[in-house]
Amino acid sequence: MKILNFKIKENIIGLILFLTVLSLQAQEIDILIKNGHVFDAKNNIDTISDVSIAAGKIVRVAPSISEKQAKQVIDATGLYVLPGLIDPHTHVFVGPKPGKFADGSNSLSPDDFSFKSGVTTVVDAGTSGWQNFPQFKSQVIDQSKTRVLAFLNIAAQGINGTEIELTKIEAEKHDINEMDVAKTSEMILEYPDIIVGVKIGHFNGESWAPFDRAVEAASKTDRPLFVECHLPEYSLKDQLDHMRPGDIITHSFENIDERMPVVDENGKLRPFVLEALERGVLFDVGHGGAGFWFDQAIPALQQGLWPNSFGTDLHRFSMNAGMKDILNVMSKYLNMGMPLKDVFLRGSYYPAKAIKREDLGNLSSGSDADIVLLSLRSGEFGFIDARNNSIKGDKKLEAEMTIRAGKVVWDLNGLAAKPFEKN
Amino acid sequence: MCRRMERLQRASIILFFLLLLFLNAQAQEYDILLKGGHLIDAKNNIDGPMDLAIADGKIAEVARNIPKDKAARTIDVSGLYVTPGLIDMHAHVFMGNEPGAYIANGATSVMPDGFTFRSGVTTVVDAGSSGWRNFPLFKEQTIDKAKTRVLALLNIVGTGMRSRFEEQDITDMNPEMTAYSIQKLYPDILVGIKAAHYWGGFTQVDLAVEAGKKAGVPVMVDFGEHNPPNSIEALFMEHLRPGDIFTHTYSNGPKERETIVDENGKLKPLVLKAQQRGIIFDLGHGGGAFTWKQAVPATKQGFKADVVSTDLHTESMNSGMKDLSNVLSKFMALGISLPDAILRATWAPAKVINRPDLGHLSVGAEADVAVFNLRKGNFGFLDVRRMRLKGDKKLEAELTLRAGKVVWDMNGIASEDFKE
Repeated sequence: MKILNFKIKENIIGLILFLTVLSLQAQEIDILIKNGHVFDAKNNIDTISDVSIAAGKIVRVAPSISEKQAKQVIDATGLYVLPGLIDPHTHVFVGPKPGKFADGSNSLSPDDFSFKSGVTTVVDAGTSGWQNFPQFKSQVIDQSKTRVLAFLNIAAQGINGTEIELTKIEAEKHDINEMDVAKTSEMILEYPDIIVGVKIGHFNGESWAPFDRAVEAASKTDRPLFVECHLPEYSLKDQLDHMRPGDIITHSFENIDERMPVVDENGKLRPFVLEALERGVLFDVGHGGAGFWFDQAIPALQQGLWPNSFGTDLHRFSMNAGMKDILNVMSKYLNMGMPLKDVFLRGSYYPAKAIKREDLGNLSSGSDADIVLLSLRSGEFGFIDARNNSIKGDKKLEAEMTIRAGKVVWDLNGLAAKPFEKN
Repeated sequence: MCRRMERLQRASIILFFLLLLFLNAQAQEYDILLKGGHLIDAKNNIDGPMDLAIADGKIAEVARNIPKDKAARTIDVSGLYVTPGLIDMHAHVFMGNEPGAYIANGATSVMPDGFTFRSGVTTVVDAGSSGWRNFPLFKEQTIDKAKTRVLALLNIVGTGMRSRFEEQDITDMNPEMTAYSIQKLYPDILVGIKAAHYWGGFTQVDLAVEAGKKAGVPVMVDFGEHNPPNSIEALFMEHLRPGDIFTHTYSNGPKERETIVDENGKLKPLVLKAQQRGIIFDLGHGGGAFTWKQAVPATKQGFKADVVSTDLHTESMNSGMKDLSNVLSKFMALGISLPDAILRATWAPAKVINRPDLGHLSVGAEADVAVFNLRKGNFGFLDVRRMRLKGDKKLEAELTLRAGKVVWDMNGIASEDFKE
């Protein structure tokens, strides 16, 4: 009996496998991307391959997938095919209030910037807190085609200052008593698929209570802490010492009075920064309008501090400055000497891991089909930092096509279109 | 004796430095010099190599060779095209989050600064997102805060483009109030009137023209949602005045809007007649209003839109439209020359909206300047039906200046080299 039972089981499993293979073969493909150079770090793919998409999901990545079942075929010859980029540092709680980040025009609409630069997921860096996250969700997150995730600010109202003397107003406005661990954690657990961590960003006092509470809320909800540099009374070393492995510090290469820079006056990376890196603290670029300086980023890169992600710190004051968009930030690193594959890794797979969303940043079968087709353009380019210094370069990444959940949402040169001449 | 000598010496040294300072100040009469570029300025009939100097936010000199030492800062623009800052005559920038609203204070509008400077645009004309009732909010919220110069056509509907349903309300189309807002309240910002999205006959257009006559400004008509369509011949020859504007010129939705090219690919003769009469044709690309099916035969048969514009909003920004430099590149893919395309996004719209102070590089004009790279390569240009036309040229904004300030610098040509 036992043997028979085993055989039946075996047969059933065999039958199911057989049916699965059949259905995979028979399944109609909505979009087939042919002949691109697929780079999918999670699945160890780094070669010319095809990618098939159906019902908004990745069906499979394989060297040669037949065009027979495909409704649409996109020729990606000469292009890189990557998981959609993830920008872990943006400000997208956009609204009509002039001079405001939360519900204001200092934040930007995510769809205005994401797809044209290959981004399919943005993480809002604490523009909202537990008191106004629901408004952010209904007003922006639910309305956007871009996947919008968020770090929840430990400050109850998020970034609710004005553009003038932001930190000062934050300090006055943000009551420590409203930096509530329980309420922050509750909000995170109410939206576990959207809120990926906790942010500490603007605080002028010497008390470590806000920082400690942010860490506590992050620990309680098993999420990373995101540390932005506007904490002038905390030393850089103390901040790094308070961070756990997996926590993220941003504006890593900033050189302003508000925080000690990572590279000292002699151009040497401070040893305690390297120690934090070795301990597992993650460094995000967080470019912004003032957060990226070549005199920090270049020596840091040379001395071993490579950023883990290319957060843009997208907002009204960075969009038209040296930042521009994530591909421009990635191109900067490419021209600073970071190898292309390392740039790609930090564009989608690493940030997905950093926010503990390993469902993103890969092309595994069954994943949401968030994909970008990138071209590597050659020419004479220049890249600007926060001090309006520039470096020259000969390479630049461009988004040819962006696909979000299986839909073409950006098509620079009409790769997915029919030629007009033939009609 | 000795001391006096010393004093004299000191005095003369000070004098010498003062003289140097004075000379220096004299020498650097300009703030910025754009040197070595190819200048295109239709109003002034310039299409050739020319330097351009800026002082105090204004154009100070345009000449073949302006010496570097006359400017505090020289930007090398050799190999690039220098044009007046572009004017996008059709955009929707009344961004907001009012419940139930779509373009007026709604999320279908966009914030201007994220799209303008990176495509060489320094002035946008909002095409009727607001009406006289909500224009003050639009001004306070967007126009006064934007770095882009934002002008506007006032919608003949009091609440502007709040919802398609409200846009049908004839009782809220008030020529008196509309004209009053334009003439008396905001004459520097409001440059015309918009009539759009109306489902009925000619009532809306006629009310808009009535307001246009009272205020002395042009009317722009989006004639697209009439089922069955109204006659464009009647619109052009009877209802509109010379100087009034027909937008979405190359749209192809014949069930709702009469097209300019017929089913057999023939340009309707009345279109050229209307253009001769002075009707202005605006491209107004948008998410659904530009087709190769209309644009290719129309161009071949000798017709060109007078003004090239985007109809920027969230449904067009990531589609075939993208931005104004892309739309201009598409226009060039039709076989139209660069200077002709630039004309239609600078001096031509400036004249249409009666703003002769804009759209050129005359000495004394506000220094709104764009510098373009004409990139060569294999490009594809999408229309709204996902049809692709090939092209080998594409405009890219290298540098944009608004009132003499650098507001976009793609490759750092206006920056200092980083030294380790």
